[in-house]
Amino acid sequence: MQTALIVGIILALLWFIEKMLGTAMVIRPIVVSTIIGAALGDVQTGLLVGATLELVFMGFIQVGGAVPPDVLVGAGLGTAYAIIGNSGAEVALALALPIALLAQSIKVLVFIIRSWFMNYAMKLAKAANIKGMINLNVGGLLLHCAMYFIVGFVAILFGSNAVEAFVNNIPDAIMNGLEVAGGLLPAVGFALLLLPMMTKTNVLYFLLGFSLLAYMNIPILGITLFGVVLAFIIVYEFNGKNGDSDTTDKEDEEELFDV
Amino acid sequence: MSDKRKLTKDEKKLMREIFWSSFMLEGSYNYERQQALGFSIGMWPAIKRYYKNEKDRAEALERHMNIFNTTPHVVTTITGVATALEKEASENPSFDKKIINNVKIGLMGPFAGIGDSLFWGTLRIIAVGIGLSLAQQGSILGPILFLLLFNVPHMLVRYYGGVFGYKFGTKIMDQANNSGIMQKISKGATIVGLMVIGAMTASMVTLESSLVFTIGDEKIPMQDYLDQIFPLLLPLLYTIFMFYLLKRGMKPTTILLVTIAIGIIGSLIGII
Repeated sequence: MQTALIVGIILALLWFIEKMLGTAMVIRPIVVSTIIGAALGDVQTGLLVGATLELVFMGFIQVGGAVPPDVLVGAGLGTAYAIIGNSGAEVALALALPIALLAQSIKVLVFIIRSWFMNYAMKLAKAANIKGMINLNVGGLLLHCAMYFIVGFVAILFGSNAVEAFVNNIPDAIMNGLEVAGGLLPAVGFALLLLPMMTKTNVLYFLLGFSLLAYMNIPILGITLFGVVLAFIIVYEFNGKNGDSDTTDKEDEEELFDV
Repeated sequence: MSDKRKLTKDEKKLMREIFWSSFMLEGSYNYERQQALGFSIGMWPAIKRYYKNEKDRAEALERHMNIFNTTPHVVTTITGVATALEKEASENPSFDKKIINNVKIGLMGPFAGIGDSLFWGTLRIIAVGIGLSLAQQGSILGPILFLLLFNVPHMLVRYYGGVFGYKFGTKIMDQANNSGIMQKISKGATIVGLMVIGAMTASMVTLESSLVFTIGDEKIPMQDYLDQIFPLLLPLLYTIFMFYLLKRGMKPTTILLVTIAIGIIGSLIGII
């Protein structure tokens, strides 16, 4: 009961902070899992689970209007179940994915409900009632937080035993496979990040970063600095020569992948 | 209006108000008008300054209730531009107020593009890259550093973006287009982002073959040979394969499930 309350409150609070700080990334798994871990008395597991889930969920970001799988609920509940059941990152991963997919519908539902608010918002605007508009806006946020609280509370209160029994019955062979899959899953996240960015002409920068690490083992911060220097050289030193490359990029992209 | 111009005391106060109001942006994000309610509230510091009677204020609030969507971290730049336009509109009766929304619509697309690639694509990835290795070692500094590395630049851009937008006002797009600043930022961010993603792919995607060939009496583990030619070739190929599937229009959730299946089946039959 107490655990369920704590998890519910953390989910609701993190969402509130995320939006009140203008999308400050406090709902990313690396943060969520650590906080859940700390609250449930196992920071170390929280950190490790957070690191694993962060990689897998890397590509799940809200860009534009499309709703991605819900990383907050996925990471929060996945970590909580793993810690309650004394299991590791593989279990958290196996649970976080389906949970995140299911929880996607919470956001969709909230976005629909808040669409109904908009008529009222227009009325408030027409009356220049700024206080009313702010209250409505914060009210909409609190509605979302309340949904997260209920989901977290109910899932832990009624789900823990069922989940624990389920996890204990997973055969070892499947658990090993999940570990392998855990190493592979970040590839999906990175591919999602590359999707809007990588084209036929700039694929070389991706290969450069990859090779610098694969062959020379340069730390990522070092590669970032190389990247910044290289970006300045290319953008400012060679500016005149490839000024119109942006347009050709798009055409190339289509040729390459129109197989 | 030059960018070297110093802000007056009241304008500085206005900038701070724009900064604080900007956190309202996504409180009631919804399908019908997306961030409109939050954006309209964010315009209040300007509206209450420039319009003194209720009717004008209402009209302005309503104007900014039009559908709006951009990257939340860079919204103040657009608020700043819209503020400069509202100021002009309040002082100049012949100013066509339709321009305000047209400029906003013109800005929100490019700013979403640049904002997403700068904040979601580049800054977040760098912050994750540094925070993650610490978290994997079990250090609480991991998540803390992640949040700081992301949010210090975020807050600076949020504040100074507003100042920048306000100062350039109507001229922002001309200025930006003439000197190609937008294209330069976008291109530079893409280069850094791609290199970092490349490096992170190499360090964080793991895939090793456990195949062993037996020729005569000699056992030859395939992975040893791969490592001599191109270390981490398999993770690279797998990532590019995922990219290709996404390009072909496969859904991310589908390929996540496929990847889990490959992991389980591959380890069951003993090839990875």
